Amino acid sequence: MTSTAAAGVSAEGATRALVASVQDLSIHFKTKAGMVHAVDGVSFDIRDGETLGLVGETGCGKSVTARSFMRLVASPPGVYAGGKIDFWSSETRAAGGGPVNLLTIADDEMLDIRGNRIAMIFQDPGKALNPALSIGNQLAEVFYQHRSDELLEPLGPNAPVIIRRAANQESGKVERVLLKLPPLRSKAAKVREEVEDHVAAALAETQIPNPRKIMDRYPHELSGGMKQRVLIAQALACNPDLLIADEPTTALDVTIQARILNLIRELQQRRRTSVLYISHDLSLVREISDRVAVMYAGRIAEIGRTDDVFRQPLHPYTRSLMAAVPSSRNKRGELAAIEGTVPELIDPQPSCRFHTRCPYAAGVCGEVDPRFLRHDFDHGVACHIYDEPAELGIRPDELPSYERRTR
Amino acid sequence: MQIRDYLIRRLMVLPILLIGVSIIVFALTRVGGSPIGIYMSHEMTPEEVEELEDRYGLNDPLPVQYFAWAGGVLRGDLGWSGVAVAPVTQVFRGKLAATMELATAAGLVAVTLGITLGTFAGARRDRLPDHLTRVFSVSGSSMPDFWFAIVLLIVFWVYLGWFPVGRSDPAIWASIAHPTGLYTIDSLMAGSWQAFRDAIWHLVLPAITLGLATTAIITRMMRSSLVEELNEDYVDAARAKGLPERLVLKRHARRNALIPTMTVIGLSFGFLLQGTVVVEIIYQWPGLGRWLADAVLRGDQATIMAYVLFTSVLFLTVNLAVDIIYAYLDRRVVLGS
Repeated sequence: MTSTAAAGVSAEGATRALVASVQDLSIHFKTKAGMVHAVDGVSFDIRDGETLGLVGETGCGKSVTARSFMRLVASPPGVYAGGKIDFWSSETRAAGGGPVNLLTIADDEMLDIRGNRIAMIFQDPGKALNPALSIGNQLAEVFYQHRSDELLEPLGPNAPVIIRRAANQESGKVERVLLKLPPLRSKAAKVREEVEDHVAAALAETQIPNPRKIMDRYPHELSGGMKQRVLIAQALACNPDLLIADEPTTALDVTIQARILNLIRELQQRRRTSVLYISHDLSLVREISDRVAVMYAGRIAEIGRTDDVFRQPLHPYTRSLMAAVPSSRNKRGELAAIEGTVPELIDPQPSCRFHTRCPYAAGVCGEVDPRFLRHDFDHGVACHIYDEPAELGIRPDELPSYERRTR
Repeated sequence: MQIRDYLIRRLMVLPILLIGVSIIVFALTRVGGSPIGIYMSHEMTPEEVEELEDRYGLNDPLPVQYFAWAGGVLRGDLGWSGVAVAPVTQVFRGKLAATMELATAAGLVAVTLGITLGTFAGARRDRLPDHLTRVFSVSGSSMPDFWFAIVLLIVFWVYLGWFPVGRSDPAIWASIAHPTGLYTIDSLMAGSWQAFRDAIWHLVLPAITLGLATTAIITRMMRSSLVEELNEDYVDAARAKGLPERLVLKRHARRNALIPTMTVIGLSFGFLLQGTVVVEIIYQWPGLGRWLADAVLRGDQATIMAYVLFTSVLFLTVNLAVDIIYAYLDRRVVLGS
């Protein structure tokens, strides 16, 4: 066992180029009771073309972590308290450029990344579509925002300024009237046709039958599965480098879940998009991810290749989770619930967040934050069981151990 | 169902509503006393009263009386106004233009200002502009209109002399043609800047007074529904597409926030009409409201009935328009049958 302290997991097994690297990310929420440390020093990498599963219970901070990639955490009450998220877009990488820190780049650079280089699929497709706009109009926005050059192509290099502004969604009220009048009307119609072609093609990719018909529909006229396909089409419209899927199948019927999952996987493989897949569903994550990060109470408990984590879970929390999930290995009636509840994260003291529920916790677990330790080549864990007593300044027998159950 | 079908269905209900309204108007006025009260005096003998009642058909059964009245209304005959000493229809036209000009000005101010302020505050929730807007809307909707009107009058007419009362300067008014009876429109049609300026100048104080409460209500409604919409997932989804905040607000959140606000706008129109009575009296505005007040005090039933019937029709029409805008904003409305 190697127990090298790592600043993040970024040192571990960097065999593939990275798309994103989260380092020591902390996001807090200001409340009347105090600062809630919703995300508290989270580090992980997303490698090029891989699917990283981020699992954890409701409220463990996985959605907040995901939203912070696009700076979508509302602030206030949210506070970006520390750390950084480095992101390599395919464009900068092709140009030999370095990463940008998503937490600090200028707002207009962020707008350029959102929906273009990083896209997101939301949990509830029924809520993520605007009820007042037609499907076609909602998808068109993405192309207007990020692909206006392509939309203007049929007009040649000398498109009028007003048309240019319309293709960039910058038209004012007067301009919108002018666009409906003869000299500009035919040109505006050409842009409109072009955008409709783009939208139809994007919808067709998600195997929606009759895309042209769907474009005129409103969200309430579509089924849940259909809406999620629309959202997937919208997310993948600009061929993003990173797709964040925040529990994309949770709100769907079981029968449709599998189809949506296959669709995401197929499109990802075809385009070599990296995916951050967030879920509380262990069996689903096992199926879809190359690597898994297990989150608990705002921290990463364990991260590694899916097979390694599921076959040989290192963290007591991961082990309890596995025991709580029905599988062919657990016999009937052997499901174990984890005793206790997730701790309050208001102004927490240094400690392992799991120590109140951990069957093996020792005194040190309630006093010192566990470091992130690399267990082997591609498998890391944050638990005192694997720590060096000398580093902590305690006797070896004061260290927690799987041999010693304390509750 | 298409919006067109929805429209046709709504229009078909309108006549039924109108008949209902006319019956209620007739019945309620009749409860209020005898329509010939205004023509009677203490010196009249019972025989003379009897003769009057016979002449106006007041001894016929009520349904017969209703149809006589409703038939007259359909022919454009609203009866004789004892207050104006002229046929109701004739007096109505001139006064209607005055009231409509005032109510439209106040309504336009209220809707634009209310939606703008509400959006401004809602997008800046719990920050200073939001708190200031809240102070405005709470005080605006709780101030009695007669008091506010008098304060404005004292400050801007009596002390500062910035704005006049009444409807216009008679000399200027006489100098232009008036095909519509709306002074602002007429002066524009006549191309007289001086007359237009005069018309607007006279409109400012009454329109502000009349529109204040409605502005406050619309602001409040717009603000709270925008705050609610901004918490919806589709707003974050719109941001995740890379849309600038300007478009997220305008195209996504505000559009949906307008849906509940539209309902309030339609309903507050009745509020506006009711307010014209006080405002017209205080600012010497020669409109329907002032005429109605006189008619009520002197028991001029033909005028009262005409006024109530007219405002009901107006209210129904405005709310029909609101429903149509509503269906345009929210397609789910069209679905429900």
